[in-house]
Amino acid sequence: VAGIELPHKQWPELIGTLLSNIHQLPPHVKQATLETLGYLCEEVSSDMVDQDQVNKILTAVVQGMNSSEGSNDVRLAATRALYNALGFAQANFTNDMERDYIMRVVCEATLSPDVKIRQAAYECLVSISSTYYEKLAPYIQDIFNITAKAVKGDDEPVALQAIEFWSSICDEEIDILEEYGGEFSGDSDVPCFYFIKQALPVLVPMLLETLLKQEEDQDQDEGCWNLAMAGGTCLGLVARTVGDDIVPLVMPFIEENITKPDWRQREAATYAFGSILEGPSPNNLTSIVNVALNFMLTALMKDPNNHVKDTTAWTLGRIFEFLHGSTVETPIITHSNCQQIITVLLQSMKDAPNVAEKACGALYFLAQGYDDANSSSPPLTPFFQDIVQALLNVTHREDAGESRLRTSAYESLNEVVRCSTDETAPMVMQLVPVIMLELHQTLEAQKLSSDEREKQAELQGLLCGCLQVIIQKLSASEPTKYVFMQYADQMMGLFLRVFACRNATVHEEAMLAIGALAYATGPDFAKYMSEFYKYLEMGLQNFEEYQVCAITVGVVGDICRALEEKVLPYCDGIMTQLLKDLSSNQLHRSVKPPIFSCFGDIALAIGENFEKYLIYAMPMLQGAADLSAHVSGADDEIMEYTNLLRNGILEAYSGIFQGFKNSPKTQLLMPYAPHILQFLDSLYVEKDMDDVVSKTAIGVLGDLADTLGGNAGPLIQQSVSSRDFLNECLASDDQLIKESAEWAKLTISRAISA
Amino acid sequence: MAPHDLRRWIKRVSISDQQKRRDIALQRQQQNRRDSQHQARLLATSILSLQPE
Repeated sequence: VAGIELPHKQWPELIGTLLSNIHQLPPHVKQATLETLGYLCEEVSSDMVDQDQVNKILTAVVQGMNSSEGSNDVRLAATRALYNALGFAQANFTNDMERDYIMRVVCEATLSPDVKIRQAAYECLVSISSTYYEKLAPYIQDIFNITAKAVKGDDEPVALQAIEFWSSICDEEIDILEEYGGEFSGDSDVPCFYFIKQALPVLVPMLLETLLKQEEDQDQDEGCWNLAMAGGTCLGLVARTVGDDIVPLVMPFIEENITKPDWRQREAATYAFGSILEGPSPNNLTSIVNVALNFMLTALMKDPNNHVKDTTAWTLGRIFEFLHGSTVETPIITHSNCQQIITVLLQSMKDAPNVAEKACGALYFLAQGYDDANSSSPPLTPFFQDIVQALLNVTHREDAGESRLRTSAYESLNEVVRCSTDETAPMVMQLVPVIMLELHQTLEAQKLSSDEREKQAELQGLLCGCLQVIIQKLSASEPTKYVFMQYADQMMGLFLRVFACRNATVHEEAMLAIGALAYATGPDFAKYMSEFYKYLEMGLQNFEEYQVCAITVGVVGDICRALEEKVLPYCDGIMTQLLKDLSSNQLHRSVKPPIFSCFGDIALAIGENFEKYLIYAMPMLQGAADLSAHVSGADDEIMEYTNLLRNGILEAYSGIFQGFKNSPKTQLLMPYAPHILQFLDSLYVEKDMDDVVSKTAIGVLGDLADTLGGNAGPLIQQSVSSRDFLNECLASDDQLIKESAEWAKLTISRAISA
Repeated sequence: MAPHDLRRWIKRVSISDQQKRRDIALQRQQQNRRDSQHQARLLATSILSLQPE
């Protein structure tokens, strides 16, 4: 109730009344009051409570946490309330004395005899580490001491939170260092205190110890979370935070444990190795990896322990992900070891589902490393057929539903197809009827239980995804596209049947595949439209699953480009739906910029026939343009969205102008020209558009001048854009901006001289 | 009190091929849109340059 009323200032006495309860003697009243204050802080935004009340709440909460408080229930309620109240304590954390006091009480609570209080206190510390990172320096040594003790000997829920504290500090430092590129300038918001770097010599051994505390079968248990898992995750974050410095601290642990008879030691050593592969420079790791690679391949084949094999296959995947690819100087995969690697991975795909899943993942990254290979005989080519066959075999395993195995196999297959070359195109072509048959079979299955239906839908999604990748690959070159087209009718028939399945992911996948097919088919796609249209409309109406809506909007664009004027019969329905989408408050805002771009696609396809939509579309565009023109003081996220919106609006204008070009109805656009020029001028004056928007904006100026010609000459001459903005763009280093500016210059001079 | 989210396990693979498929489709669509507009402008430019000043 407070959550509803306080923001409207309708229950001003509430906090005072609650606080007066704090002095009540019965502990259960105190406890209930603190719990209520906690809920209140969780529900109500911090700016709804004035500082005086915040101070009183914090005083009451911190007093409740104090070791002098006799009741453990009260201390626990107070500690949990503090967790929620921390967001209110901005002012208090800037005051040294108040902050010292809060920190002392929290640290004391981590030593409470009650495990729940200790856990809640560590949760407060985790939250403080992200909310008040910049205030932590005076306390970090003490926090290290207490967390180290907790990680070593406390109950698991407490130890997990203690590790979480350091993971959270890593997150903060990774963010800071990424943002400032390691150089803190006076303008930066938060400096990096390098807590992790300083703690490294003691932090790393503490984390390595946790790796030995694995549970049996943890790899098969989806919801499992334990010390070893948290420790390895934290170690990975530490590696990303400090880079090269971690390597010498971890290597002795790996060397000592990797050959031990106890599986826990071998697994921990492998896990430590896998965890530190992202962060240090590849050059620093290459020589170690070259030695380790052989060892890992043998372990994956021969180690008797499932857990060790799981971690080994995962580590191989990490090696391929971070140390293999065209950007890495010294290749770790060569013609001489490639065959062995593939043989081991394919063999491993027959192992237990958790191990096979990791092997598929490793293959994914192996293929990804060759995605821009220009060599005439890429290393995977000789094994292509075997790889595809092995992956298909995995998808047919009876236990492929476990450990995400089937999904992983299809993902790898997609990546292998994406990275294939002309040489293997015939084999990709052979895959088309195979995957289509699989999809057909899922559509034939009848009388399924709801559980089976869900699995079927998942499989259909994977198969549509795979077909999308194949369509895109084969339609990228004319000869393969020509051969592939023999399957188009049959494939479209399957996609249409897939829509009968009510599942958002499947619809999205089928829609993406159809978009790719429309692009490949071109004007011939018209024959599918009468049947497909209803699903297109359904997608555009799908507000709840906005991803489906967004994908469908993109597919409308594909269809417009494929059909051109043949899309006209469907445009009334499409435009009606797009306009509805734009007016809706329910639809996720990310879909709105692509809808504007889609107006441009439609206009470009149907030309002057867009006339009847102008009275609806133009006011929408103008309204959005006004909103997006001035956003001073916005944060990065809003600025990014604003630029996406601006780009969408400008793409719409470009499409509309280009569509009307050379039409007798050009003059219908004249009334909108002043506003559009004003929009361009205000974008220029604001100086906060990104390069993409600059390129589109200067292009619109050119399109306007080209389409309206001499009639718009005087208007154009008055605009700042036609002079200063144009000159700036002409001098740009960005080739695309420059090209658009050249175009604008040409059409403007023609319009002005006309 | 809100339950504290435990972070994702580093060993749970970060592949999201579905997101990749979406991103690639989006890139293709943006490229195709740019190409069509470029084509339209190219056509206009060649007509403009044919016309006498």
